[in-house]
Amino acid sequence: MSAESKILVVDDELVVIKSAERVLKSEGYQIEGALGGREAILKMEQGTYDLVFTDLKMPEVDGITLIRWIKKSRPNIGIVIITGYPSQDTMKEAIELGIIDYVPKPFTPSVLLDVTKRAVEWAEGRKPSEEKAVAEEFPPAMAKELDRVIREYRQRPGCLIPVLQRAQEIVGFLPPVVQKRIAKGLNMPEAEVHSVVSFYSFFTMKPRGDHNVRVCLGTACYVKGIEGVLAKIKDQLKIDIGETTEDRKFSIEGVRCLGACGLAPVMMIDQETYGALTPSKALKIISQYGGPASGQSPEEETAAVAEQEG
Amino acid sequence: MEKVRSHLMLCAGTGCVASGTTKVKAALEEELAKKGLSEEIKIVLTGCNGYCAEGPVMAVYPEEVFYQKLTVEEVPKLVEEHFLKGRPYQKLMFREPEKKTAIPAMKDIPFFKHQVLRVLRNKGLIDPEKIEEYIARDGYQAVAKALTAMTPEEIIKTVKDSGLRGRGGAGFLTGLKWEFASKVPSAVKFMLCNGDEGDPGAFMDRSVMEADPHSVIEGMIIGAKAIGANYGYIYVRAEYPLAVKRLRMAIDQATEAGLLGKNILDTGFDFELDIYLGAGAFVCGEETALMRSIEGKRGMPRPRPPFPAVKGLWDKPSVLNNVETLAQISPIILNGSEWYRSLGTEKSAGTKVFALTGAVNNVGLVEVPMGIPLRTIIYDIGGGIKKGKKFKAVQLGGPSGGCIPEHLLDIPVTYEDIVATGAIVGSGGMVVMDEGTCMVGTAKFFLEFTADESCGKCTPCRVGTKILLDMLTDITEGKGKESDIATLEDLSRDIITTSLCGLGQTAPNPVLSTLRYFKHEYESHIHQKWCKAGVCRNLTTFWIDEKLCKACGACLRACPSKAIVGEKKVPHKIIQELCVNCRTCFDTCKFNSIRILPAGFEGDPNEFLAKTAAGAKEEK
Repeated sequence: MSAESKILVVDDELVVIKSAERVLKSEGYQIEGALGGREAILKMEQGTYDLVFTDLKMPEVDGITLIRWIKKSRPNIGIVIITGYPSQDTMKEAIELGIIDYVPKPFTPSVLLDVTKRAVEWAEGRKPSEEKAVAEEFPPAMAKELDRVIREYRQRPGCLIPVLQRAQEIVGFLPPVVQKRIAKGLNMPEAEVHSVVSFYSFFTMKPRGDHNVRVCLGTACYVKGIEGVLAKIKDQLKIDIGETTEDRKFSIEGVRCLGACGLAPVMMIDQETYGALTPSKALKIISQYGGPASGQSPEEETAAVAEQEG
Repeated sequence: MEKVRSHLMLCAGTGCVASGTTKVKAALEEELAKKGLSEEIKIVLTGCNGYCAEGPVMAVYPEEVFYQKLTVEEVPKLVEEHFLKGRPYQKLMFREPEKKTAIPAMKDIPFFKHQVLRVLRNKGLIDPEKIEEYIARDGYQAVAKALTAMTPEEIIKTVKDSGLRGRGGAGFLTGLKWEFASKVPSAVKFMLCNGDEGDPGAFMDRSVMEADPHSVIEGMIIGAKAIGANYGYIYVRAEYPLAVKRLRMAIDQATEAGLLGKNILDTGFDFELDIYLGAGAFVCGEETALMRSIEGKRGMPRPRPPFPAVKGLWDKPSVLNNVETLAQISPIILNGSEWYRSLGTEKSAGTKVFALTGAVNNVGLVEVPMGIPLRTIIYDIGGGIKKGKKFKAVQLGGPSGGCIPEHLLDIPVTYEDIVATGAIVGSGGMVVMDEGTCMVGTAKFFLEFTADESCGKCTPCRVGTKILLDMLTDITEGKGKESDIATLEDLSRDIITTSLCGLGQTAPNPVLSTLRYFKHEYESHIHQKWCKAGVCRNLTTFWIDEKLCKACGACLRACPSKAIVGEKKVPHKIIQELCVNCRTCFDTCKFNSIRILPAGFEGDPNEFLAKTAAGAKEEK
């Protein structure tokens, strides 16, 4: 089945396209090339592809922009990066955008074949149910990044917690596969890794939503009525603390104190702090993040308005 | 150097940023550019000013005019009035409640007037991201003095004589701690900083790390020299991203300036400093647990001795100091121990920062000399209770502390006097509660916290706090038993005496202190099924006093379950069958016409309330 996979190779250097073609064609893949992001988008507008291999540094439309476009317009196409300059920041961004893997430049035929084979398997495995795959395994690009972090920290004493923090940044949460990989990499028992993950409230074994709503449960917020606000938010998103909505958009987390007691009651969504909350203000803010709009049904709302006018 | 007419010190602490500092800054820049003032008026983003509730706040120098509650809409007017016409803009100034006159200068505003700034000496005055500005305010002079002109013994003696006590909670003498560690021979020692501010309701450490990160680093270098440590960590909560960023920057700048790293100031002294991100566990505020956490393990405490000064991080002698303690070090070294002792009392010297929050008018960070009465903090600085309500209690010391009632408000704030009330100074969280707070509910709130945060290593804490919590939950739900109060007291004492670390040894304090001063609330919950504050849903009946009801319809509209009936000019009534006791009407009513009765009340409310009021008087 891999033989039918259609791959688009995007690079501003023709020699890269040519050499990829030479290697992959012999294994039965169908290869096409594009010399830049713009040409690649045109090609994808017209034909279908299973995978896109793309360079990051290209004039005009660069790799990251292209990946953004693919994720938005052709979410079924798997993406692999070919790059000579894997700066940590761009790699992090690319991984966050959801690439499958990356090939360092220059590459040997066997590396390219290896990555391609895995990427094709991954892309096919994912297609039917987009999101489910994540819980059991994660894309090779994430695995590589994780291994790099493990290597970077391995020699330092007491490195487990920093590694877990970085791993959670990369993967988003810490499922058993990630914990196992870290245990192996740091040469320690899995139980020890798990004991640390389960001890600290910062670590989560469940995926969080795109937006993490952190509700402050500190004393000042308690005195100022955070309980009412929290109840309304739970009601609106139909989840409890520690859960994620079905569409993976929101999750709620209860935190001990956000240290913004002067503004109590407080919540944080992603990196933004919101203070002096009331239940209705909190719902309004959540709806700005694309959450379900105002808690009242249209009829109720009209009724409320009528009542106020009357 | 460029010539600047005015500096606008705009607060960029977490509180003000949440209230809109970023937008206000953009609007100010745009407006100043429009009026051609960009060259002569400079905007500086500062760390937390402390007056968080009225944010975003800004001070204009050299005039020292203080503006609060800035909005994008008001910016054009402000720029025109103050910076073009030279007339400070009254509308955005502080006004005392009730009095109408605007107060322009920060030093005249009651919130600031009673404060003495030592820890917060640079708040609102420097850009925390620039080491030059810290140095311009005498920064790192104390390091120079300590490293070139003082022996470790002299440093320790100065700190010991100053009477500085650990500001993190226990109040142990800092100089003594240093002395212990300095006397243990070891090639490797560690100087650690506790920035894992775990107490809910306290945020002074966050503020110091954000507004003046170099002051913490300076304190650490001096401490390291005193004990002979060449390595250090600052342990910070991951929940404080801005503090982490500013500390990282500060460490880089200090390293570049030769104040950290090898051969500091050419004295041959080495000190490497790094940041360690905590992962969220309250127990890590305990020193042995924090050290375990830096080792990459579960942050569980271990029995002492051996004390960390002998066997700490990786079994090496270690000293752990709190952020606020370390920020006090450099002025002590520069000005001497006598200067430090000029404020405070014999046993509680110097100043302490409190995070004043809850039901007071002015919330924020306040630094006061130790020994001033609680009442001054709450009424003069805090401006009294919000919405003219009655004061009920002030909670000090977070989950390890206790509640102090009205009749003790005149005691001086010192370590000893506060402990005598059953509370602790702790890290300085000061949460004011008004009459609408249920004290049984408050005790339950803290026990929920400690039961959840107990690390589980020792049984008294793990099981004991859970049992306390279950009993308190029962009482607030109307399932309290006659014997509960005695059991709560007994069990609390057992947990205190048998727990391994500070968490368990102090966890019952909220229960004991509320029992001590508010036993009648426990009794009315258990015997009369009556939560007089109207907080515990199962223990209340809301009733409208028809004599007081103005039939305004406010409660009727606010009621979510439509349980209130009435018309204009006809006193309203609550249909008890529909009421879910959510308390919305009680909070909405402006005429105090809604009264709280025991659960399932039957009979004549007027008669009942008159009788209980008379009973209360008699008791007094």
